[in-house]
Amino acid sequence: MSKAKNYIVGIFDDHDKLLNGVEATKNEGYKISDVISPYPIHEVIESLNLKTRIPVLALLYGIFAVLVTFGFLYWTSVVDYPLRFGGKPQNTLSFVVVIFVMTINITSAFTIVTFFLREKKGPGAKAHVIDEGLGDDKYAIILDEEEEKTAQQEEYLKQIGAIRIVHDKQK
Amino acid sequence: MEQKFTLSPKLISLAGAFILIGIVAFVWGFIADAERTWANYLLNNYYFLSLAIGGTFWLALQRITQSGWSSAFIRIPEAFANYIPAAAVFFLLMWVGFHHLYEWTHTHVVEHDPVLQHKTPYLNLPFFMIRLLLFFATWIIMTQLMRRVSRQEDETDGMRPFEKNEWYSKVYIFVLALTFSLASFDWIMSIEPHWYSTIFSLKNFVAAFYHGSATIVLIIVIMHHYGYFKFIDNSHMIDLSKYIFILSIIWGYFWFSQFLLMWYANIPEETIYYVKRIEGPYTVLFWLNIALNTGVPFFFLLSNYLAKSKTMLGIVGVILMIGQWIDLYLQIMPGATFSKVHTIGFIEIGSYLGYLGLFMLIVFWSLSKVPLIPKHHPYLEESLKHHLHEV
Repeated sequence: MSKAKNYIVGIFDDHDKLLNGVEATKNEGYKISDVISPYPIHEVIESLNLKTRIPVLALLYGIFAVLVTFGFLYWTSVVDYPLRFGGKPQNTLSFVVVIFVMTINITSAFTIVTFFLREKKGPGAKAHVIDEGLGDDKYAIILDEEEEKTAQQEEYLKQIGAIRIVHDKQK
Repeated sequence: MEQKFTLSPKLISLAGAFILIGIVAFVWGFIADAERTWANYLLNNYYFLSLAIGGTFWLALQRITQSGWSSAFIRIPEAFANYIPAAAVFFLLMWVGFHHLYEWTHTHVVEHDPVLQHKTPYLNLPFFMIRLLLFFATWIIMTQLMRRVSRQEDETDGMRPFEKNEWYSKVYIFVLALTFSLASFDWIMSIEPHWYSTIFSLKNFVAAFYHGSATIVLIIVIMHHYGYFKFIDNSHMIDLSKYIFILSIIWGYFWFSQFLLMWYANIPEETIYYVKRIEGPYTVLFWLNIALNTGVPFFFLLSNYLAKSKTMLGIVGVILMIGQWIDLYLQIMPGATFSKVHTIGFIEIGSYLGYLGLFMLIVFWSLSKVPLIPKHHPYLEESLKHHLHEV
């Protein structure tokens, strides 16, 4: 069994200090495990080189939704119970509206469920609070704790502007 | 940044060859099948005019929104504006072939048709010609004014020309909304005078904007390939492809809005328009039209990786130029030739190439007359050093 990882969390109260801090920490050679902010910051996403596979999954769900909805419409109105209205063809472009709406519906529902599963969140999940401020207006840089250099890491985070340091077993 | 576009002899000879093919196609066409050739004449007239109108609308929109990222490219739609006078000449020459194109110009047909009689106060030749002249007069005056002020900007400092151009652009889009709507009613919808659609003008306007923008992008990509616009990076490409991407959705939306209402209402005089096109000889082109104009750009440009590729955007641009042609072919041919013409032959391709050659010649000649990059555009730096996140 692998040893439980420890994290050092530096709490920041300033956008610019966080941004400069992320860059500086990276250059210094410390490994940033995660960054928390109340809103998405493009520079951080770029600098940490964060990637997500959610869009790819969403596309797959979308294709799935199109096929399923089209299959359903085709089955109900062409194969199983064909009715002809005013001489109009049965397999038609008017399916597009239903397919469009159902695609949005199915894709968004599936994507949200996927996100919850991946993040182990969702209704009833116990919230993990690292620091009171992070739910409000504070920012955080989370470092992987290195056994011998803990004090040095803490010192470094203070130096780049962290207002306090928190230790945690979980991100 | 001082850069000038030079008209290479290769380009001139290519355009010249195209024009020659076009002349041959027209001469041969008028001898062999006058009706079909007139229909093609209208198609190409409208096609290239719509590119010029769409391009200048794009230009006006950049001015009104005070867009920074696009300010280095504004010379291209400005060059499009110079095609409008040529289009005016072509449209005036259409006078000769009116009877081949428009059913409502035949007095003996109107005499026996109460619907056409009812429409006579609007659809009659003198008023038609007055409108045509009025449309072209406003477009030429407005676009040439915008061009002139843009040239003044190069010579003088200060914000005066920039503000003036923004004002002209505002006037232009208001004028365009009315004139281009009526123009598409006049020239395209009146081919089948018993059929009507209120969203028609909007649909054709969006098509013009869409394909005009795509042509601008295509020209930017080609010129970049030949060593102009060296500053272009991924951020520019993303913005240009976003423009095509969003317009592909809007085009599909408007196309479908017209179709769906007629589908559900199921009024015979409206649905016959689509019956003619979905069933019978036009089926393939009907589906190809939707696929090329919305399907292909949508799925290609969905991927961030492909959207950045200049080759891919170039291919999409070419596909859209074909797409607009097919769209207009479907709008014009079944009505103007009573579904007799449903193939694409030498007359179609030759006449298209002829117009393409002329369009190329006028656009690139106009580009070579002015500095390629505007000199004192206030947002020029923003365009040259354009940067987006996550591209």
